[in-house]
Amino acid sequence: MAKGSFRRGISRRSLLQQTGAAAIGISLAGGVAACGGGSGGGRVVNFYNWDTYIGPTTLDDFRTATGVPVQMSLFATNDELFARLRAGNPGFDVIVPSNEFVTRMSQAQMLQELDHAKIPNISNLLPEFQDAAFDPGRRYSMPYTWLVLGIGYRKAAMPNGMVPNSWRYLFDSPQFSQKLALLSESADLIRLCAKYLGHSVNNIPDAMLSQIEQMLIRQKPHVKQFHQDNGQDLLASGEVDIVLEYNGDIAQLMNAEGGDAFDFVVPQEGTLINSDCLCIPTGAPHVDDAHAFINYLLDGEAGKKITEEILFPTPNAAARELMPDSYKNNPVIFPPADVMAKSEYGAFEGDERARLYEEIFTRISAA
Amino acid sequence: MADEAPTAAATSPAPNRVKEKPGPLEYMRRWPLQLIVGLTLLFLYLPLITLMVFSFNTSRRNIVWQGFTTDWYVRAFNNESLLQAFINSLTIAFLCTIASVVLGALAAVMLWRFRFPGKTVVEGSLALPIVVPEICMGVAMLVFFARVMPWPTGLPWPLNLGAITIAHISFAFPFVATVVRARLASFNRELEEAAKDLGASEWRTFWDILVPHMQPGLIAGALLAFTLSLDDFVITFFTAGPDTITFPVKVYSMLRFSVTPEVNAASTILIVVTVILTAVGLNMQNQTPADKKA
Amino acid sequence: MEQTWRQAKAAFAAVSAPPIVWLLLFFLVPLAVVWAYSFGVNSGPVTIDFTGTFANYTRALEPLYVGIFWKSLIVATLTTLLCLIVGFPVALAIAFSSPKAKAWLLLLIMLPFWTNLLIRTFALIAVLRENGYVNAILEWMWTHASGLMTLVGLQPLGDFEPLTLLYNNTAVVIGLVYVHLPFMVLPLYSALDRMDRSLMEASLDLGAGHLRTIWSVVVPLAAPGVASGVLITFIPALGAYLTPDLLGGTDSQMIANVIERQFKRANDWPFGAALSFLLMYLTFIAVAVQALVQRRSERRG
Repeated sequence: MAKGSFRRGISRRSLLQQTGAAAIGISLAGGVAACGGGSGGGRVVNFYNWDTYIGPTTLDDFRTATGVPVQMSLFATNDELFARLRAGNPGFDVIVPSNEFVTRMSQAQMLQELDHAKIPNISNLLPEFQDAAFDPGRRYSMPYTWLVLGIGYRKAAMPNGMVPNSWRYLFDSPQFSQKLALLSESADLIRLCAKYLGHSVNNIPDAMLSQIEQMLIRQKPHVKQFHQDNGQDLLASGEVDIVLEYNGDIAQLMNAEGGDAFDFVVPQEGTLINSDCLCIPTGAPHVDDAHAFINYLLDGEAGKKITEEILFPTPNAAARELMPDSYKNNPVIFPPADVMAKSEYGAFEGDERARLYEEIFTRISAA
Repeated sequence: MADEAPTAAATSPAPNRVKEKPGPLEYMRRWPLQLIVGLTLLFLYLPLITLMVFSFNTSRRNIVWQGFTTDWYVRAFNNESLLQAFINSLTIAFLCTIASVVLGALAAVMLWRFRFPGKTVVEGSLALPIVVPEICMGVAMLVFFARVMPWPTGLPWPLNLGAITIAHISFAFPFVATVVRARLASFNRELEEAAKDLGASEWRTFWDILVPHMQPGLIAGALLAFTLSLDDFVITFFTAGPDTITFPVKVYSMLRFSVTPEVNAASTILIVVTVILTAVGLNMQNQTPADKKA
Repeated sequence: MEQTWRQAKAAFAAVSAPPIVWLLLFFLVPLAVVWAYSFGVNSGPVTIDFTGTFANYTRALEPLYVGIFWKSLIVATLTTLLCLIVGFPVALAIAFSSPKAKAWLLLLIMLPFWTNLLIRTFALIAVLRENGYVNAILEWMWTHASGLMTLVGLQPLGDFEPLTLLYNNTAVVIGLVYVHLPFMVLPLYSALDRMDRSLMEASLDLGAGHLRTIWSVVVPLAAPGVASGVLITFIPALGAYLTPDLLGGTDSQMIANVIERQFKRANDWPFGAALSFLLMYLTFIAVAVQALVQRRSERRG
């Protein structure tokens, strides 16, 4: 996920200045003094987040409000986050895994239970986000954002202004032969195919898995590339006309120069919903401040500033209330209620399942 | 051999390059080969030159030339994470070069000077990092720094670059050893013995006799280590932590987002930096042997 | 003469300890751990038990993965062959040019090698993409040719169809050749440069043509250079990760891409370790073949 695609000069100035100063040898001591993370000594929150997935002033605002500085590090994929914490928590206090990984990490005892008494802002959440199937009772996670997969397309390439509102155009049709690209995430791909075939994205029976494999092998000659979440770029450069992508990524493209040429639709069959959540990993050195930080991120005003920057859908009712109509009524950011009603979260079904999906994808690529 | 040379030159006309018609062995003066060399150079340089030229183009996505601008350079310099990645890369390359030259030179001297049990095994193991596929080494480093020797996070810069630097040294110093050893092969051992006979200590002999002789090899090795480190993507990709992004890894993630002339500009800067460093290195290398002879 | 280590124990220790310890700790130990993992079992999401099982290797030898290995071998072989075909005449031309031109040509061949691999691949994408520079040049030529044909009263050409140069196996091979060509030219050059030229002159004097001379005199003499050029092109091409990832299409995955996915997305380290080691064994076989060629030609020479 190209998180916070709406980057506009995020400030990590302080860190860089220290780094740069040390590099040119003006003051190595300055660089050493910049070290705050992991040492557990003073009060600090070590925040492990997606790239550009925070408001420009949020961390400074939290420091002003509480006196506790936040040290933010960045990861690019859930797999990276998982691999980094797999061998033990190196000192992070707050992390942002997606729903499936919340389940996976809680099962692996990599997450701590949250103390809801320390997070009064939980009441700001929309009712449907107060609880979650992937984390019953919200024991381990607080929702930060959510996002959906859908179809990004070039309007001019659609015959008679057609809207490609079915997964068929991506998975089961030669109509856009060699002008379409799919995401190379094995699990997402297989789940959406199941959705297209009328099944839930979860508990896909083995017979259907081989049906999906056959379908994708049949479709493969028409697919230009299994992209690595750079679908918006393939679309913009004219390599493809139709692409499987996250709503935020296409919204970014539509916001840029020449963005009128593109649009985004969530197919009528429904889609896969993802939610990125705030969690405290096992072994976090600053548990109290971590709770305070999570509570702060769920605040209405703070949430508004984050949302203004990253423009992803927010589960925070108080923050959403403060946003302008151009955000609240944007159909790319908030797909229509009827398709959302048919959409689901992908559940974590065990490592064996993840490996099976990966092997199916390898077979499709090798076919 | 020395007596033969003039006779050979007299009997065979080939080495004389003053003739009008191309000599039988002057392949560079025949058009089919000129064509092949020309096309190859075009193939090698067309992408790089277009990349550099279009880093000055005003248009963001368009490949049509619209006008000259240095905006993308300004932007690249104001992109803090890019700049930080650049500083990280140069720092790692610098540290890696120093360590690799020391370790590589020692390894070369060891193999050149001594006979010892298990020498073949040591020689073979030293060649391993050169032949092991990058992906295997990257994976090994990932596992090593995740399980065997976790590198602490939150260390002050540049200590946080430790894991990547260690990985880079591991694959770079065997290259240095190979280059230096080739240079040592031309060393006259009697010089070393003469120095020792005159009462010089091991250390003095090493420092005053051996090191000056190795110097061109050391410079070549340093150049090699520096570019290998600056160039590496795969191994770094596997060892890099969240706060230790290097330039290639950053460019990779920028490519994932969207291709902007900003990346072109940043790449152009890196190309220019490498070319300058290479020129300086080659110059030093060319000068040293001449100085020694003089 | 080499000294035995006993004669200068202190010096030997000082010289040998740092590189040997470094190599052991930061190279051989990591490799050994991966090797051990390849005989392990995932006992949980984050734990691996060492059971000494061969199950990972059995799985890696299933037709699916053998097929991917085979494909990677074919791509790497094709890349090496193309590099050899292009690189040999270039190396020949350089080796037999004047000393001054020689230095410049060598520098020109080396320069791309000093620039970043990722940047070179990225530059190649910009040139090859559907509205990239190659297609732009072709389109320009096409429309002008079309205009010219209407001028002389012929039917104009149809609309220009941009060539699909990216996201397929051809693009991967082009990309690999682009990246590895300098690796091939340099060893070829040094072998040709060292060659005894009187043999070539003799062959030419005796009336053999240039092609025949090159084929039956130069190539055998340059065999060690060819062997080492082939080796240092073949090994990185076999383990290529970035090029198929960036330039490849839906069926361009190579074994390194599968290995990467095992370590990251599939969270299956033992299986990824087994695949890596199979790749390593293939590499060792290539090295052994090269050593054999070298020894043979030395014996003959």
